[in-house]
Amino acid sequence: MSWQRELADALVEAGIEVGAWVPDKRLEPIAARLAERRIPLRTLPREEECFGYAAGYRAAGGMPLVMIQCSGLGNSLNAIGSLVIPYGLGFPTVISMRGTLGERNPSQMPLGRTTIGTLELLGVETFSLSAPEDARKLVKGAIAVADGARTLAPILLEGELELA
Amino acid sequence: MNPTDIVRTILKTAPDALYVSSLGTATSALRAASEDGPHLYMGGSMGSALAAALGVADKQPSREVVAILGDGETLMGASSLWSMAGIRPSNLIAVVLVDGHYTITGGQQLGVPDVFGEVAATLGMSTATARTEAELAGQIATLSRPGLLEVRYDDRAWPGPSPFVDPPVVRWRFEQAATSP
Repeated sequence: MSWQRELADALVEAGIEVGAWVPDKRLEPIAARLAERRIPLRTLPREEECFGYAAGYRAAGGMPLVMIQCSGLGNSLNAIGSLVIPYGLGFPTVISMRGTLGERNPSQMPLGRTTIGTLELLGVETFSLSAPEDARKLVKGAIAVADGARTLAPILLEGELELA
Repeated sequence: MNPTDIVRTILKTAPDALYVSSLGTATSALRAASEDGPHLYMGGSMGSALAAALGVADKQPSREVVAILGDGETLMGASSLWSMAGIRPSNLIAVVLVDGHYTITGGQQLGVPDVFGEVAATLGMSTATARTEAELAGQIATLSRPGLLEVRYDDRAWPGPSPFVDPPVVRWRFEQAATSP
């Protein structure tokens, strides 16, 4: 079983009800598995919208999932900083890392190198997934943070996953 | 009509709906007209109110959802009009308060065409424009969803209550309202 499938299954079993995402090659197998498990997917044109959508879904009593590439984090800071965090709307967010180990595109480097730092400055702890066998464990912990502690819980899909 | 009159008329016509308001005029007007009811008021995050309303509408498909949006807000989150047209929520209406100005930042002009209805119509949504309370009440009651209703008004009186809401309180009250039958 692929780690993407493990990750998706763990998210479904942990209770996520919908996924809002901007497409990405590394996220695609996760999205496909979520669809197989009958989780509705909302493909939105901009990452900030995914956070806005998920904030509304969470505020209305649900548990959403956001999936974006890290370059889209820059598009999302206003929604994260002035909606998701102050309103205490915790949900898991799967972030496909670019601009790190294995990257060949110079334009991806700056936002990749600053993803963790940016989130930390906002007070958001990140959880890195580098080894495929850790997928279930990380999801379990991230859902606890999102659901119980009501805090945004980013799972970073590191470049090592593709080099394995 | 002024913003508080507009929102009061909407609340009277759709009293059981879940409301999401964008920062500034829309949030202040919804607070004034509902006597600070349990709505999802945005205290910031300009451009995200319609996206949040889409999430609310998806989670609570049996509830009517009304997004009350400023015109500058709608521009900043314009891609959410495309999302709304793609998702086609049958329980969501977006009401755009069109006065042509960024009110909370000092009344600067929008500086771009205020063609919200035309864009929504091109995207395949139901649209209408209201300029009186009677037109507004009629369109809220009858415009098919997903729909975008422009409300055009000249009386740009600031509604009154602060739009700087207390976020955890807003979230808790809204969640109770959204999840109670």
